[in-house]
Amino acid sequence: MDAIEGILYGFSLALTLKNLAFVFAGVLLGTLVGVLPGIGPAAAISLLLPSTFHADPISSMIMLCGLYYGTMYGGSTTSILANIPGEAASIVTCFDGYQMARQGRAGPALGIAAFGSFFAGTIAVVGLMFLAPTLASVALKFGSPEYFSLMVMSMTLVTYLSQGSILKGLMMAALGLILAAIGLDPVTSTLRFTYDTLVLRDGLGIVPVVMGLFGVSEVLLNVGVTMNREILQSKIKNLFPDRKDWKDSSIPIVRGSLLGFILGIIPGLGTIIPTFLSYGLEKRLSKHPKKFGTGVIEGVAAPESCNNAAATANFVPMLSLGIPANPIMAILLGALTIYGLQPGPLLITEHSDLFWGVIASMYVANVMLLVLNLPLIPLWVQILKVPYAILYPLILLFCLIGSYSLNNNVGDVIIMCVFGVAGFLMKKFQFEPAPLVLALVLGPMLEDNLRQALLISGGSFAMFFTRPLSAAFLVVSVATLLLPLLKMRPTARFRQQEE
Amino acid sequence: MVKADRWIGILFALFSFYVCVESVRFGLGTYQQPGAGFVSFCAGMILGVLSLALIFLAFSRGTKIRKTWHNPGRVVMVFLAILAFTLLLEWLGFILAAFLLIWFLLKFVEQRGWGFSLGVALVVAGASHVVFDLWLRAQLPAGILGN
Repeated sequence: MDAIEGILYGFSLALTLKNLAFVFAGVLLGTLVGVLPGIGPAAAISLLLPSTFHADPISSMIMLCGLYYGTMYGGSTTSILANIPGEAASIVTCFDGYQMARQGRAGPALGIAAFGSFFAGTIAVVGLMFLAPTLASVALKFGSPEYFSLMVMSMTLVTYLSQGSILKGLMMAALGLILAAIGLDPVTSTLRFTYDTLVLRDGLGIVPVVMGLFGVSEVLLNVGVTMNREILQSKIKNLFPDRKDWKDSSIPIVRGSLLGFILGIIPGLGTIIPTFLSYGLEKRLSKHPKKFGTGVIEGVAAPESCNNAAATANFVPMLSLGIPANPIMAILLGALTIYGLQPGPLLITEHSDLFWGVIASMYVANVMLLVLNLPLIPLWVQILKVPYAILYPLILLFCLIGSYSLNNNVGDVIIMCVFGVAGFLMKKFQFEPAPLVLALVLGPMLEDNLRQALLISGGSFAMFFTRPLSAAFLVVSVATLLLPLLKMRPTARFRQQEE
Repeated sequence: MVKADRWIGILFALFSFYVCVESVRFGLGTYQQPGAGFVSFCAGMILGVLSLALIFLAFSRGTKIRKTWHNPGRVVMVFLAILAFTLLLEWLGFILAAFLLIWFLLKFVEQRGWGFSLGVALVVAGASHVVFDLWLRAQLPAGILGN
């Protein structure tokens, strides 16, 4: 099936009344999650996942992807109006977006964020549509050594690019691999680290772990601090940017979109780092770099476009290789497994309905978000005014319901609570949860491929270095680990900017 | 953070030692045919080495930055509330457990009024029963109310 044929087939699936309703529900919930600080897309997708078990996999994936998309749109609203990023990828939008709002230009800031996101999302979906099948066909030639090395590379990249100490990041990745070993060994049927507990026999579920690490821990962190939300009270007008705004923003939107897409493909980069790079690039290329941070529209247009393009590009390694680029993709990968689908290069050919249906739904979601978001801004502003004291009991209750209804088992809720406290302590002591989650998801695949490769090679590790692609992945991994020694790590700089 | 890193490093080092011992028990196998404990043993070894590096760095850098903990009492209360919800969920049933959780958080953690906390708890418990139990058919436990 070629791309044109595929996308037409995808639209025939995405434009059914049922799937339109799923896209709508996803983008609406996603925007709401993006607007609300204290709950991010990872926790929200985990939360919604159990409720999709009754629906078919295509509709479910369409809704979950729409939710992810929606958070990217919604995050900009709080950044601009309240100087609080609804999710991490919108941190940069605060710099100039909030300043624009203070100058009475919240309307154009919100407008350009929405239009830029729409443009970037659409361009990125086209890229995804052509690139993912090509990459999947290349990946079909991968053997177990290539897969093993690719997973090692993904984990080291995530560790390298996550904020904080790389040593602690590597520790989290190693811990994730240990946690991934929990359960029944598929080869020897040995029970590992289960302690006669039924809930651990199938391994640690990704959903309760993510809900704990990203949902419960976030609540525990936030109840400990006083949240000061200063929402601009003035009426928002002129959502459509004027001619000058368009002139200033059009090239940054294109640049942000391209940069976001290219960087979003690389496992580990996620959406946060590309937005910082995009902002930095615009500042460097600008004729008036000193004005950045005082309320220039390019400072909103470029990073907002960039985060949407990167969010879409994150799907490329996930759908074509079965390698998640960030914890959110890891949950979606877990969702595919729960729906009985095998992620990997064969997914696109064996389940073309799912792949093309999701791609087409992304186009639909982009249009819906553009049409929905601007008129709904007053509603989001009202929701922003709900005190956190009322919101967090609801977030907690939804997390508890979500984890219980996975298997109707209290064991999953206990796992979530344990990881909630662990996530809270991890954040307090500056350990990043992303490498742990990725290692937990990739662990079983990594183990399978390592064992297969060693079986084929008769116990020789040389196979990983003599096969060109595998060697290339390992060289990147080693280089990634050595770069901090040369003080060439970009995230430290970003963290300083963020602070 | 550096002082805490010493203790965290020691804890992780002990944990990694335990993982390695358990992995040997699962069976390491051979290079040709790795056993059930092979990967967890390798991961345990890596974690152990990294933990020692963390301890070394923490000791060599000396003590600095003392992390402040804001409102630890509230954090503990929230955690105890969700733990109690988890343990009592199947016995009390979802509606009652949800009601008590929301009421406790609003009344005792957030120190809102009786009427407000009871009212919100009632509405949230009822609405989530309708949405999750009746509409999404999440099969939440009925508990003592079901009997």
